[in-house]
Amino acid sequence: MADDSAQYDRAVDEYLTRDYDGDRRRTMLRSGGWQPELAAELADLGWYALAVPEAQDGLGGSLSDVGGIFVQSGRHLLVGPLLENVLLPALLQRPGDWDLAVAIPNAVKAGVPLALVDPGIAADWSHDVGSIVMTGNRLDGSVAAVRFADQASLLVVIADSDTGSVVCLVDPDEDGVHIEALSSADPAIALARVELSGVRSDAIVPVGSDDSDLITRIRAWSRLFIACELTGLAQGSLEVTVNYLKQREQFDRPIGSFQALKHIAADMHTRWAGLHNLCLAALTDADSATPTEFDILAMSAKAHAAETAVAVCEDAIQLHGGIGFTTEREVSWFYKRALALRAWYGDELELHRKIGAALLFRESSPDRDRDINDAVASKATIASQFKETPA
Amino acid sequence: MTTDDDQPIEDFRATARAWLAATELPVAPLDLDTRFAVLRQWQKTLYEAGWLGIAWSKEAGGQGLSHLHQLAFVEELARAGAPPPIGLIGLEVVGPSIDRYGTDSQRRELLPRLLSGEEIWCQGFSEPDAGSDLASLRTRAVVAGDEFVVSGQKVWTSWAHKAQRCALLVRTDTTVRKQAGISYLLVDMSTEGITTRPIEQMTGDQEFCEVFFDEVRVPRSNLLGNVNEGWAITSHTLGSERAAATLRRRVECEVALSDALTELSARLVATGASDVQDLGRRTTALGRCYTALRALEGQTRQTISRLTDEVGPSPLDSVDKLLLNDVEQTVFAEITRLLGPLRAVPDSRPLGLRSDRWAHEHLFSRAASIYGGSSQIQRNIVAERLLGLPRG
Repeated sequence: MADDSAQYDRAVDEYLTRDYDGDRRRTMLRSGGWQPELAAELADLGWYALAVPEAQDGLGGSLSDVGGIFVQSGRHLLVGPLLENVLLPALLQRPGDWDLAVAIPNAVKAGVPLALVDPGIAADWSHDVGSIVMTGNRLDGSVAAVRFADQASLLVVIADSDTGSVVCLVDPDEDGVHIEALSSADPAIALARVELSGVRSDAIVPVGSDDSDLITRIRAWSRLFIACELTGLAQGSLEVTVNYLKQREQFDRPIGSFQALKHIAADMHTRWAGLHNLCLAALTDADSATPTEFDILAMSAKAHAAETAVAVCEDAIQLHGGIGFTTEREVSWFYKRALALRAWYGDELELHRKIGAALLFRESSPDRDRDINDAVASKATIASQFKETPA
Repeated sequence: MTTDDDQPIEDFRATARAWLAATELPVAPLDLDTRFAVLRQWQKTLYEAGWLGIAWSKEAGGQGLSHLHQLAFVEELARAGAPPPIGLIGLEVVGPSIDRYGTDSQRRELLPRLLSGEEIWCQGFSEPDAGSDLASLRTRAVVAGDEFVVSGQKVWTSWAHKAQRCALLVRTDTTVRKQAGISYLLVDMSTEGITTRPIEQMTGDQEFCEVFFDEVRVPRSNLLGNVNEGWAITSHTLGSERAAATLRRRVECEVALSDALTELSARLVATGASDVQDLGRRTTALGRCYTALRALEGQTRQTISRLTDEVGPSPLDSVDKLLLNDVEQTVFAEITRLLGPLRAVPDSRPLGLRSDRWAHEHLFSRAASIYGGSSQIQRNIVAERLLGLPRG
């Protein structure tokens, strides 16, 4: 599959280099993150169908093959619901998901956004982000920031219930759904607040009693793909910076000849290389890893991406000097995107703690090969203390 | 060990793993003299079992397998928690250069004894006034009949006081560009006129030495390669074998994290709920180490696939070194930060961690960004040769 992956990567890079450059890109980055004609164009090109099974008219690739397009999306500052429209159709494969929710095939074929209403985007801000609870067959609660909720034709809602966490598919036009568009500081993403008041949870698809495996996969893949996107943002800002260092002259020579600047550029490259190779390794291992291993792997990628991409983008602005602080060069766009994505599904502080706790649980378990959740259960006294760990 | 040239890596790895599991692994003590003796014996054991010089030619006493077999064994050795053999300078730095540039008789005479640990090698490169600017070295060698007469001083020469041989860089021409006047000599350390003086490092070890050469007579047959061509051999030496060192160090860091995890977890299991007031500090440190090591592992995979296609120095080696140094310093800094004030008490076990061991490893990690070309030199290489920024 590595060949497929390289092929997707190249095709996406070529397309974006040719058709998503200069003025068009700048206009879109100022448009609030939603461009229906661009999303329709990508749907026509088949991007959203890459990881959809062939039985559903998709290309049947695995999610690990499409990581590279998220790298390119970051590198080219692509706007729109790439994450939602690639990931959700591929993972929503429960009986009935595709047959009953026509929005899913529409998202793949026409580019209408899906929205993921997930209170779990960050643990350290759970009070501010909100929560959603399923009681009987009713959904109540709110999430303070949902990507593309105002444009979506389907809300994929993650809710807590008595039997476990569940994934409900909700029509945004359903009674009790309130969507409030918000202004977005991420130039590539539209945001909205979603409130659900007594919404029927089986509005479209009857929900199961426990979708926790699906939820773990949605969150882990979101982390890894966002990490890939952050890698691309770091790469893009590194590339424009190296070019600028060669062109810009002061004291009668290119500023890239000054060692003080050169060393920062070398560090940017080194940090980007480590991040990029970490993401590639995580994608390579994704298919053979156990769910627990993959969860930790994805957290590692996201943690490292959050820290590294922001740092690389900050150096890029510094090396551009005054022009870096303006919107005339791309570096400020890379930086804003990196800042917006940094804490989405956990920044490095939150994820380092989670990874460390997972490693300690595993180590403390009598049988190290067992799932972390089993280990937690067997060490209930320690586990309860971990849950209380202060930030 | 029975192997053939195209033995699949995974079979080879399994054989190595089985051998390591069935072999009594030495524990390297902190005391330097005892450690030297134990690890020298360990090198002999490894050599006799056929695990050294894996990628070297059979004439040189090696196994004639590929670089990837060599890397696989380095990795398995570290993973088993076994210490590396004592003669790493010979095995990773000097030996490959002799195998590549040496005469038949040099290879036959020197390499088997280098592999077995019978002869320990040191590396006479740096001088008091030639550190990062290595090519400006001033130790002179003058031709007198069939001999070179060497005078000068070397510094930071690890294990010089224990070594039987020295790979010595000398200036043989002062009239040309500085890189073009350097020769590479293979010197017997028992020759008259050589004095070594150990230097105590901040870890407390006395592994480093100053070495003084006072009209030391070296036979012309001990020249490696041609006169005035030593710089190219040095570049080869410093560049192409770095991968083995990087890979070994990566796995050593993985083993360190795993050991720290074991110690922390044993304390938690033993003391239960009374000892968890500061768990956030521990989990954060562990997560940071683990994440850093994943980046290094990803980088290593890329390096290995690169090395299967090309051999020889590349500016990408410098990226590897910068990343490795950053990660190993992060890992040991994070672990030792968990020692808190009891870092000052070597015999204590704060949070279950062995204070003396981790403090020693942490101090040692600070050398990583200095030896083998400082991080600042590596950044120049990355900026100029990889990113194409103009020379200053």
